[in-house]
Amino acid sequence: MTHDSQTPRVLIVEDEPMLAYALEELVIEAGFQIAGVAGKLDAAIEIIDRGVCDAAILDANLKGVSAGPAAEALKARGVPFIILSGYSQDQRHMDFAGAIHLQKPCRPERLIEARRSILLVP
Amino acid sequence: MKPKRLTKAAIFLENQDLRARLDDVEEMLRAIGRGEADALVIENGAGPKVYTIEGDEAEANRFRSDMLAMVSDAIVAVDDNERIIYVNAAAERLYGFPASSALGRKLAEIRTSHWPSPEAREAAVAMFRDRGEWHGDHVHILNDGRIIDIESSSTKLRNGYGGLGGRLSVMRDVSARKKHETQVAISETRYRRLFESAHDGILILNPGTRKIVDANPFMTQMLGYSHAELVGRELFEIGLLKDESASQEMFQKLRATRAVRYDNLPLETRAGQHQDVEVVANLYDESGDPVIQCNIRDITERRRAEEHVKLLMAEVNHRAKNLLAVVQAFAHQTAKYGDPANFTEQLSDRIDGLAAGQDLLVRNHWMGVDVADLVEVQLAHFKDLIGTRVLIDGPPALTLNMAAAQGIGMALHELATNAAKYGALSNRVGRVHIAWRVTDAPKPTFSMSWQESGGPVVAPPTRKGFGQIVIGRMAEASVEGRAEMAFRPSGLSWDLSASVENTLVSTGSRVQMRTGNDAR
Repeated sequence: MTHDSQTPRVLIVEDEPMLAYALEELVIEAGFQIAGVAGKLDAAIEIIDRGVCDAAILDANLKGVSAGPAAEALKARGVPFIILSGYSQDQRHMDFAGAIHLQKPCRPERLIEARRSILLVP
Repeated sequence: MKPKRLTKAAIFLENQDLRARLDDVEEMLRAIGRGEADALVIENGAGPKVYTIEGDEAEANRFRSDMLAMVSDAIVAVDDNERIIYVNAAAERLYGFPASSALGRKLAEIRTSHWPSPEAREAAVAMFRDRGEWHGDHVHILNDGRIIDIESSSTKLRNGYGGLGGRLSVMRDVSARKKHETQVAISETRYRRLFESAHDGILILNPGTRKIVDANPFMTQMLGYSHAELVGRELFEIGLLKDESASQEMFQKLRATRAVRYDNLPLETRAGQHQDVEVVANLYDESGDPVIQCNIRDITERRRAEEHVKLLMAEVNHRAKNLLAVVQAFAHQTAKYGDPANFTEQLSDRIDGLAAGQDLLVRNHWMGVDVADLVEVQLAHFKDLIGTRVLIDGPPALTLNMAAAQGIGMALHELATNAAKYGALSNRVGRVHIAWRVTDAPKPTFSMSWQESGGPVVAPPTRKGFGQIVIGRMAEASVEGRAEMAFRPSGLSWDLSASVENTLVSTGSRVQMRTGNDAR
């Protein structure tokens, strides 16, 4: 993937292929680049560790596995991220403090809006 | 009769005799007057005859007799021959015989004694013989068939009529008391059994000392203390309440409201294990003495089940929201790539495909879907063609995991829709051959193919539609495998291959998951 240093690179961590694809399209349409798409926790952490992403969208639950460690890795690198989950507020059992939470299903505009706000781009 | 001539001397003697007899009579009359005689014996030709004279003694006798008549216990006296010589009013009532007809009859004629055992009877007889008295219980069977429980006290008569022996018995009908005792015994057995076999812990406490008076076996099991160790202890000493002040608070509340309920108390067993218990305590009155009954129920299992349900609800919510997100993405993509005129039809069709796959997953408890079932469901529109124009070919009993089932299901749905519109199923003769298999070399691989023939001549599409994305990269992502499409003029072909590990559910782990669920 070629890297245009002007365009922020976004990592998508989502176990549902259809959603991963839809998010990818959305992110590209909004003018960002894709840093990578991961459906599993270890794949996500590998991409984060390569230091190639400027922001991330995290599904809270990856086939029954919490995306918490990926969130920790992002925090450690100071990479802003958005949490996307199907759980309601009271059912959320992971602490993703400081992140923006969006509920599935989520309107594309809201996601892009959140994306821009965390990347501080207009 | 000719008068007898008497000599002078004879007349003198007779006169002397008469004077002496007159003196005797005068003396006797004086004695009667002083109350010193109570009977007269007059002898005549028929023999001596006794005439009783009533006096103070006789009054005393009558008084005694009246008292006996008033006694509520039955009194019967018999002579040495077991003949009835006395019955009081209570005995008349008990046996239903008036004294007039009972007197002189054998005792056995008015009732039969029934003993619990021959030994009991022998023991009673021996005791009476040796000590001259006997106390005990037995049963009388009356002539009218009534059976009565008798508490009896018998004494040997030393001076019966005419100096003969005999027996005086005082008897009380205790049938009502015996019946009550039996009922109490039955009730005691019944509630004792409840107490002993209950699957709740039960403690009986003294409200005054706050100490345990009794504990049922389940309670000893629950805590790991023996019965002897529990009795005499206070609740906080056996890990039920955290300290003495908690215990005092509970007893205060009990005295005020007579009932206390704690929905969830942490109980620590002797071994240090934690259990969640529900405690219901009630203050009762037990024949004037207050007593507290505590029922302690282990709710660990119930709480675990509640937690499990909560977890399942969260999971269901997660899956439902995910599915809605997929539908949202479908709508977005369908609108973006498809013909706006057919938007509703195309979207509805895709949602149908998702719903069919969902049914299969739920039917299998989210454990995966059999490949053959998935193919059948996604080709449901063409089921009349299966075996003729739609050929299905693959080994049975292969179960796709959830992600693979969804990805491959959506791909099959798109392929079938495309074939019906433009491909082999759009004319009357074209065929579709669907096949899957598992190969071992170089590593365990699952592969599936869709091969069309006999349809209209195929030309490669001029632009990439959403269907292609579904059968291409989305199917690939679902199994982390490879999907290849070829638009040959003879027909479209699609091949998917992925590692078995990422595609199939192993039978072993499937069984394990089921067992795990059942154990809950």
